Amino acid sequence: MTVAGGPALGFDDVSLTLGQTDILLRVSLRVAAGGVHALVGPNGGGKSSLFKALLGQVPHRGRIALEWPGERPGVVGYVPQALAFDAGLPMTVMDFMGAMCQRRPVMLGLSRRWKAPVEQALHQVGMWEKAQRRMGALSGGERQRVLLAQALIPAPDLILLDEPMSALDEAGMRVFEALLAHWRGQRTTVLWIEHDLDAVTRLADRVTGLNRQVLFDGAPAEVLTPQRVLALFSNRHRHEEAQAVEEASA
Amino acid sequence: MTDLIDTLRHAIQHLAEQGLLPNSLTYGFVVNAVLAGLCIGPVLGGLGTLVVVKRLAFFSEAVGHAALTGVAIGILLGEPYTGPYGSLFAYCTLFGLLLMYLRNRTGLSPDTLIGVFLAVSLSLGASLLLILSGRVNIHILENVLFGSVLTVDTSDLLVLLVVSAVVVALTVPLYNRFMLASFNPQLASVRGVRVKLLDYLFVVLVTIVTVASVKVIGAILVGALLIIPAAAARLLSLSLRGFFWLSVLIATLSTQVGILVPIELELPVPSGAAIILTAGALFGLAAIVRGFTPALKGHAG
Repeated sequence: MTVAGGPALGFDDVSLTLGQTDILLRVSLRVAAGGVHALVGPNGGGKSSLFKALLGQVPHRGRIALEWPGERPGVVGYVPQALAFDAGLPMTVMDFMGAMCQRRPVMLGLSRRWKAPVEQALHQVGMWEKAQRRMGALSGGERQRVLLAQALIPAPDLILLDEPMSALDEAGMRVFEALLAHWRGQRTTVLWIEHDLDAVTRLADRVTGLNRQVLFDGAPAEVLTPQRVLALFSNRHRHEEAQAVEEASA
Repeated sequence: MTDLIDTLRHAIQHLAEQGLLPNSLTYGFVVNAVLAGLCIGPVLGGLGTLVVVKRLAFFSEAVGHAALTGVAIGILLGEPYTGPYGSLFAYCTLFGLLLMYLRNRTGLSPDTLIGVFLAVSLSLGASLLLILSGRVNIHILENVLFGSVLTVDTSDLLVLLVVSAVVVALTVPLYNRFMLASFNPQLASVRGVRVKLLDYLFVVLVTIVTVASVKVIGAILVGALLIIPAAAARLLSLSLRGFFWLSVLIATLSTQVGILVPIELELPVPSGAAIILTAGALFGLAAIVRGFTPALKGHAG
């Protein structure tokens, strides 16, 4: 299943407007098959919206192509930033994994078929010892590890990570790096929204700076220059840039 | 189907006459009520866990109250006042679906929308009932409001059985997906869950089971049986498995106690009130047990 590896992604002139606001403006971008591609940019810069457009959950203009290597589409995994649930809910880590993976209702327990994969996934993120803990009683980092674990079942060909490191501690970071290495080995395509530019420089093959439009795109060591990063994240720069665009078009 | 229910009832009555079951079960209407309770308890208790997880408690209350208006419309349209199921199902389903649709379209928070719908629906119901007051004995409405075991007949049981079967057949295989859709809609849809469709389906399931239970528990209180057992079970359980089965157990126990105790002790209490009082007592007990059991308070954090 994973021999073929993940798909390449092509975003071609993708725009997204919600109400009066332009969320994405003519975004064109290629994500190589089997690589680790990071998306960086300020909050509200349209990174999560790009995921939504990719998953077909918002009406966008332009073309998004998933070029699967095989004849049939493979498995897409997704790691969201957070889950919305009542912290007091008596749902153990195991319950959650069961609800994610199997059809059989969780009150009947984990089916035999999924026991081994769930156990392995929880081992992989270092949460096996806490499998019987309540989800609500976990720390933010631990919950994020569980979210990573669910994305391992079934083994994905394309994985979308929405700021998976934001709550991870030191040990969690190592777990995440090991997972990235694992996905790289499986030739899984990884599209990864991240704020930690140091991590992006170390771990990504390619990085795109996104603030409504693509500001830069290339190998992290080359494109993540202080100048560009400053331009991407600072308000003043953005303001000046917008003015420049306006003046140019006037 | 009707024959089957009759046969079952006669068998139970026969056993009661021989002294193998409580004496009150020699009466046909008591057997009817007990059978209805055995349907309602597990279904409402089980579905209630999802209602609590999806935070739709207030919604299920509102649907119950909408039943009052449904009954009024039914009588006005000439349906039998003992079971105006056509109008009940139609009105309450419309109520639920419209509410859900407006929630999706307007972005208003559910509690605000429910507040609007509940008030409008009750006003409509109150107006219609006043018009009706000249035509039918208004005391019949007490049964609608608070439930009455005396009025449960074979056709009510049949409606209840069919609705329960439908709800169980749909909820059990979709249980995980219903839950997942509320945790994170985007993750759910990546995993192949049709979130919107399931949201509507869930509303319909809650609505039909509520309507089918109105005869026994009453319009005012039927929503409570979706919530109280699940709330009590939540206090006492450490996993979803415990949560679900305990909720089923508490709901079933409450319906049986609420139906049988007033009859045995000849208390003039409406069945719905007795059922909810029992569930409430069990909830109180659960809260006390939790208070004295450190393990239940969960692992630190």
